[in-house]
Amino acid sequence: MTKKFSLTPYFFLAPALLVIAVFIFYPIAAVVYYSFTDYDIVTPPQWIGLQNYIKLVQDPTFWKALTNSFIYLIATPTVIVLSIVLAIVVNRNLRGIHMFRALYYIPAVSGSIAIGIAWRWMFDAQGGLLNGFLVWLGVLKEPLQWLAEPAYTLPIAMLLTIWMGLGYYALIFLAGLQNIPEELYDAALIDGCNNFQKHWYISLPGLRPQIVFVGVISSLAAIEVFNEVFILTNRTGGVLDSALTMVFYIWRQAFRFSDAGYGSALAIVLLVITLAFSIINIRVQERGLETD
Amino acid sequence: MNKKRLFLIVSLLTLASMILSACAPQATQAPQEPQVVVETQVVRETQIVEQTKVVEKIVEVTPTPGPNPEAVIEGVEPNAEISLWTFWLSPTFDDYIQSTIARFESTYPGVKVTWADHQATFLDDYRNSFAAGTAPDVANLSDTEGWVREFATKDLLLSMSDNLPQSVIDQYFPGLFNLQLVNGKSYQVPWYQAISIELINNQIYGEKAGLKVEDFPTKYYDLAPLCKTIKEKTGTLCDIRLTVTDLLRDMAYQGGVKVMTDGKFTFDSPEAATWLQWYVDLVKANLVDKTALVTDQDRVGLEIFTSGKAAFYQTGPQLIREVRASNPGLYGYLAAVPLPAGVSGATAPTSMAMSVKKDTKFPKASLALAVFFTNPRSQLEFSKIVGIYPSTPASYDDPFFTVKPVAIEESVRPLAKDLISVQADIMPEIPQFQEVNQIVLDAVQQALFNNVPAQQALSDAVAKANALIGK
Repeated sequence: MTKKFSLTPYFFLAPALLVIAVFIFYPIAAVVYYSFTDYDIVTPPQWIGLQNYIKLVQDPTFWKALTNSFIYLIATPTVIVLSIVLAIVVNRNLRGIHMFRALYYIPAVSGSIAIGIAWRWMFDAQGGLLNGFLVWLGVLKEPLQWLAEPAYTLPIAMLLTIWMGLGYYALIFLAGLQNIPEELYDAALIDGCNNFQKHWYISLPGLRPQIVFVGVISSLAAIEVFNEVFILTNRTGGVLDSALTMVFYIWRQAFRFSDAGYGSALAIVLLVITLAFSIINIRVQERGLETD
Repeated sequence: MNKKRLFLIVSLLTLASMILSACAPQATQAPQEPQVVVETQVVRETQIVEQTKVVEKIVEVTPTPGPNPEAVIEGVEPNAEISLWTFWLSPTFDDYIQSTIARFESTYPGVKVTWADHQATFLDDYRNSFAAGTAPDVANLSDTEGWVREFATKDLLLSMSDNLPQSVIDQYFPGLFNLQLVNGKSYQVPWYQAISIELINNQIYGEKAGLKVEDFPTKYYDLAPLCKTIKEKTGTLCDIRLTVTDLLRDMAYQGGVKVMTDGKFTFDSPEAATWLQWYVDLVKANLVDKTALVTDQDRVGLEIFTSGKAAFYQTGPQLIREVRASNPGLYGYLAAVPLPAGVSGATAPTSMAMSVKKDTKFPKASLALAVFFTNPRSQLEFSKIVGIYPSTPASYDDPFFTVKPVAIEESVRPLAKDLISVQADIMPEIPQFQEVNQIVLDAVQQALFNNVPAQQALSDAVAKANALIGK
């Protein structure tokens, strides 16, 4: 029996496909093409074959940016742990708990640029909140130039990312916690579980789908971080490129040095990495669900 | 008696009738006598009268220079529609820009100008506009940041040297017209100039550090001991900025470094090492704000100064208005002194320019607009609004420039002509400028923050830069 071909589904799919084609497929195809060219944005691209990719392998700054992006992934497990803890803390019927939940969510709805500027002030060398506090406590003899110290710039950016994501991810975990039947906790209590064991043996397994989901999106966000670095380092990437991440390096090459060809090659590498990440994450998620 | 009266009346009526009839005209014409008519005959010459034809013909009226002294470009395309981009001038100077455009349009009737102001993203926008084929005909580019050279080397700008009459070129200070030359040609007409000064916050410098404005160093390298004194007495860091977008320029002006010799980079000389070591020492002694030192944005340093956290900052008097607007309390503590001289003894121009894109549809109209905005009258009017200085000597003939200054923004005005006239570009043309600057920046950062000896960092950078340009 042959299936009768129908145009109707394609008709309904067409608008979405058109938008995706224009705004996703075409740009990806264009970036792939530019990655094989010498392109300075203002004059037409010149085909140079694999030269950008050869340059990339030999470019120590690329490896530094890639390393920093992977280091940035430390933010992912950190934010997962912290947001689960926060979700457990706010998952109780206390007076005013709704206000706390809303307060924790505020960073998620605030602009990252505005937050970045506030954080820059917090870590400012002269008159910054942190320096003032630490000097007052006697921990520091004189103010430290936090954002100009290669050792601190990237961790501060990561801290900012974690702080910004905490409320949003906590909300996801809170929803997950509220789906776990109360009877399981009652049974654990009867079995003599303490609070920690209760969450270790019941909450965490119950939150597995949310953990996988948050793991995927937060790791992708971490590897593609840009705004935090841009603002905190005054768009320099930090002294000695200490906070240089892949997306920032792509931006710098393409738009500050007008080397869009090389920037495109970097973007393709990042695309491959994020695709690999997504596939791994989805496989893990599927395997986890099968186990459940 | 009645009969007599009746008879009298009838008699009078009869008499009256007879008299009236005798006076009345004749009712019928009497037979005419034969008349002799003399006719006058006029003999005219035959005339050929050409019939006038109505012919519809479009007569193109080219706006050519007329009596208006500001119309200095001939052959401006009729009905040209051109676009202009300025850099960070709106909304403060909207009235000035709009009135200048209106005057331009009346000077060259038929030409229309569309104006847009771009701010922090100007450079990105301008680059992207070339890619999109929508670049403005005329753009306000910064000479100081090297924008003119960037686009001129990519063959995107119209050569002013080739396309402007000599009489127009002569209206600018030669040193300013010849900024950012590419293959010996200028791709800009100089617009407004800033005279860099050291702006002093007397609350820190005078009151807390106990220093006198008149004792401010006159040599650049003497800023280091000053920073040490200020740090010791007030705990304040110095707000000094490297021009990270053009470090070779800093080396040349501040350190007297000859950055190229016979087409090869030579910025690893002892002078260059001294220059870099000076900054290394400042950083190691924790005397400078490192964020401001290595940023590519002047505004970072300006914000530090404006917020009252620095004793002095190198800037232009035109930016004092920002200090006044953001921190009026600081304004009363401000003092201005001349910039300390670098080893070169030369002063680097801080110049804004007007450039025209090469493939404009209306080159004459675009050149006319660039020249109009930069002509002596337009620049003089601009100077009266804000503390900028014209690139045209004629503007300084106005008494405005000889009046004794009152406000701090005006402090250098009487000296402006002399200062501007000697400003000149001492930099050679740098091949592969962006890449070379990145090499120098890496070297400088290695020395400043990674304990690489200054001499070694520079020697490595020279080797890389020469390899890059094939030397």
